[in-house]
Amino acid sequence: MNLVLRLATALCLALSGYLHAQLYVGGYRVIPVIGPAFLLQASAASAVALLLLVGGPLLLRLAAAGLAAGALAGFVLSRTTGLFGFSERGFQPAPQALLSVSAEVAVLVLVAITLYRARLRSRT
Amino acid sequence: MSEDPRDPEGMTRRQLLRHTAWFGAAVVLTVTGGEVISRIAAPGEAAAVNAAEDPNALRFVQISDSHLGFKGPANTAVESSFSQALEQINGLGYRPDFVMHTGDLTHLSTPAQFDQVKQMMSTLDTGHVSTVPGEHDSIDDAGQKYRQAFGAGTAGDGWYSFDVKGVHFIALVNTLSLEKLGHLGPDQLEFVRKDVAKLGSDTPIVVFSHIPLFAMYPAWGWGTDDATQALSYLRRFSSVTCLNGHVHQLFTKTEGNITFHSATTTAYPLPQPGTRPAPTPVTLPAGKLADALGIREVTYRPGQPGLAVKDVKLA
Repeated sequence: MNLVLRLATALCLALSGYLHAQLYVGGYRVIPVIGPAFLLQASAASAVALLLLVGGPLLLRLAAAGLAAGALAGFVLSRTTGLFGFSERGFQPAPQALLSVSAEVAVLVLVAITLYRARLRSRT
Repeated sequence: MSEDPRDPEGMTRRQLLRHTAWFGAAVVLTVTGGEVISRIAAPGEAAAVNAAEDPNALRFVQISDSHLGFKGPANTAVESSFSQALEQINGLGYRPDFVMHTGDLTHLSTPAQFDQVKQMMSTLDTGHVSTVPGEHDSIDDAGQKYRQAFGAGTAGDGWYSFDVKGVHFIALVNTLSLEKLGHLGPDQLEFVRKDVAKLGSDTPIVVFSHIPLFAMYPAWGWGTDDATQALSYLRRFSSVTCLNGHVHQLFTKTEGNITFHSATTTAYPLPQPGTRPAPTPVTLPAGKLADALGIREVTYRPGQPGLAVKDVKLA
């Protein structure tokens, strides 16, 4: 079960990284602050996803959750108050926005399940 | 330090080393991944020389909403702020290919204000100065005085296009027929259609307008009612950058191949959309005004897919 959770987390995080890389290459790179942030998210998510495939301690799952939460927070801010002057509407660009949000929510859920199971194990 | 591997409060030396190794691997892979993605996004960019030293690089400056003639507590010296912006451009360390003023050059469209802004901009050390009108530049005369001052070489009500270093620029007028939102009109839409018909899809396009071509906040008129039609002619291009003024604040968004950048002002800030009942000038605490004002540097290097936009506060 732990292996399945780890691989699923890696897969979802890799998808989030891939979509951010695709948007970065496709034009977001010229947007001040947002461009470099997309690049960082894409490269860090890919790196953590790769390490999760190999193995990795619980700390790496927390890093995955942090990256997913950061991307989601950026998404929400860009649809509400704006983020460094950048703003978008709804699930645009499609389909990347929806896919990315789904992948990041999945990462958070998977890490939460992992942590819950680890806590249960440590009690027994 | 506890030796119990289950103890979350403690960590053995081996565990510490293992965590450090994972962390190190994550950092190395992140840096490597970033480098790979950057190279995919812009092949050869890493090897390219700095844009400021590259003779083939296109560099221009956008300024906006100088509102010469404005009198109010939000900025009691708009002329001085504008003069400061011009000095900042002249002190950039390179000579911009051109400087574009995206409208509201004047506050009340008086001949004296047009004369003053023209004289002030003549001090710019640049290839040429271009403008598009704002709604404050066409009060009561549908832009006649504006066109007398700045309309040489333009078509229709003052729109035009030009090419510099492989980039195609389109300067639009969306402030003349406005009721609430900006409006381009059928003649101008036809101009855009014909203007870009001859261009290859890999030609970078930059569109200037005063009012945003995207729906930034329609309740305050921050949008253009027939912009969708104009933008439909630009969908086939790989890189389209729309630069506007009017909203007196930085704002960026992307729709497919088109990136919109609203510029700040050299005069006074306006509220963020919906934060106040109306878009009236905001008076900032003493010493904070310069942070809200600024200029925009834009760079394009041949072979690159897009333009690099850098907003700089008024020094």
